[in-house]
Amino acid sequence: MEPVLEVVGLSKNYAKQAALEAVNLSISPGEIFALLGPNGAGKTTLIGAVCGLVKKTSGSIRLLGIDLEVDPISPRRDVGLVPQEINFDPFFTVRESLELQLGYFGRPADPARIDELLEALALSTKADQPTRALSGGMKRRLLIAKALVHRPRLVFLDEPTAGVDVELRRDLWSYVRKLRAGGTTVVLTTHYLEEAEELADRVGIIDKGRLLLVEEKGALMKRLGERRLEVHFRAPVATLPPAAAAGSLSADGLTFVFVERAGAPACADVLGALYAASLPVADVNMTPAKLEDVLLRVLRSGNGSA
Amino acid sequence: MNVIGTRTLLKKEVRRFLRVPGQTVLQPLISTTLYFVVFGFTLGGRQGDVNGIPYVTYIVPGLVFLGVANNAFLNSSSSFFITKIQGTIVDLLVAPLGPTELLLGFVLGAMVRGLLVGLLTWVAALVFTGPHLVHVASTVLFLALSAWVFAVLGLVAGIWAEKFEQINFFPTFLMLPLTFLGGVFYSVHALPEPFRTISLVNPVVHMVEGLRAGMLGLDEGAPLGLALLGTLALAATAVAHRMLATGYRMKS
Repeated sequence: MEPVLEVVGLSKNYAKQAALEAVNLSISPGEIFALLGPNGAGKTTLIGAVCGLVKKTSGSIRLLGIDLEVDPISPRRDVGLVPQEINFDPFFTVRESLELQLGYFGRPADPARIDELLEALALSTKADQPTRALSGGMKRRLLIAKALVHRPRLVFLDEPTAGVDVELRRDLWSYVRKLRAGGTTVVLTTHYLEEAEELADRVGIIDKGRLLLVEEKGALMKRLGERRLEVHFRAPVATLPPAAAAGSLSADGLTFVFVERAGAPACADVLGALYAASLPVADVNMTPAKLEDVLLRVLRSGNGSA
Repeated sequence: MNVIGTRTLLKKEVRRFLRVPGQTVLQPLISTTLYFVVFGFTLGGRQGDVNGIPYVTYIVPGLVFLGVANNAFLNSSSSFFITKIQGTIVDLLVAPLGPTELLLGFVLGAMVRGLLVGLLTWVAALVFTGPHLVHVASTVLFLALSAWVFAVLGLVAGIWAEKFEQINFFPTFLMLPLTFLGGVFYSVHALPEPFRTISLVNPVVHMVEGLRAGMLGLDEGAPLGLALLGTLALAATAVAHRMLATGYRMKS
């Protein structure tokens, strides 16, 4: 299937600073792709270059099968963007803002679509309020509604839940999943790694303008994620069975810690070995692998193999 | 061509200035009417006729021009500049709106405001002078072209400006001297040399005279004014279109 977005050798230089360095990225239809990285890594620049907000220095971008060098306008009909910075036009109400945005995308008036989005984003009661009367979280939700009002095939969510409370954030996650189920492709940047962990099919890690890694989330977690097994004993233990040799025993012999990494024995096998050796296990603690740890490891190593 | 998009932007521009009519329509109408009363009746009462026309009637086309030019300029410059400052320019840049659509949306919206103020100024003048409209087609053409030119120049200023101070630069240092020295309140042909020749370099002189020819039937050089307006319209439109196409001061 043809990618909805294909970026090849994309670079962007500001004065003497490189914001993007020869980035290659391909996004498949219907996936949720999380682009992660620290502040200033190049996430927003990359999205900006695709959405027409940033002028690229070199490289090519094919959006929905069309080279932006040849036609920078028409592919935008099917693309939506939630920008990182909150913006609003104080002259208009929430509903009017959505009507205008729909019109900019060349679509005729669609009050039913606007009502549906207002409902989905908990803005129905504010529909006829001026946008300046909205709280920060509501303004952020209005940005999301504006990005989706024309039913885009590809939507970029640049920090969509910053400043949004926990309950609404979870509602939004459900809505993003619903979008994906309807065939919309989503590219997401977020500082809430839990969000990426919850939603993403694939993850890309970018730092200092270089895309360090792009991988399917499950495979990445398996390859670079670390699960921690901590076992407490009722009585001091002197020796460990060979299958648990990769773990470490505390000096008092009461605590055993094992970290499962790709290629190492699985936590379940190590725990089984402890029970098989009839060691006096009192309590077991498991900490699952976290995307946050994976991100930090990749950023520290500066490459995708970590 | 994104026709719905262009129409939406135009509608937004018109709604925007109609939301604050006191500031965008009434205020300029009152200032222009005050000029009319002060210059036409108080000071102008001693002036007598100009080229056979009562002074108070003579200044009407210039004041209508002033209303059209100032308001067309102010609308596009402030609207575009504020769109940049409040960040809603992103809504336009991500949408399938090319330079032509953006230009038409902002310029036509500004023209509506300029022509509305011009029309209301003329209606206000009717109360004092009675109707004077000799060549309708020529008058409409001059007004539309003037509104277009100043709306496009306003757009160029709005794109160029990065600070509030810069957005005020054009009206204060360019528009104000050019219009006040542009024969709005007097005939430049009555000036002694070298001021007469110097004044003829000012394009506003020819625009005002062209409008006077249309409204009052005075032969003050309408063809030259039309040629000048046409040239300015083409040049300014080309510059604005280029700025929009390249994303000048909009895209990083």
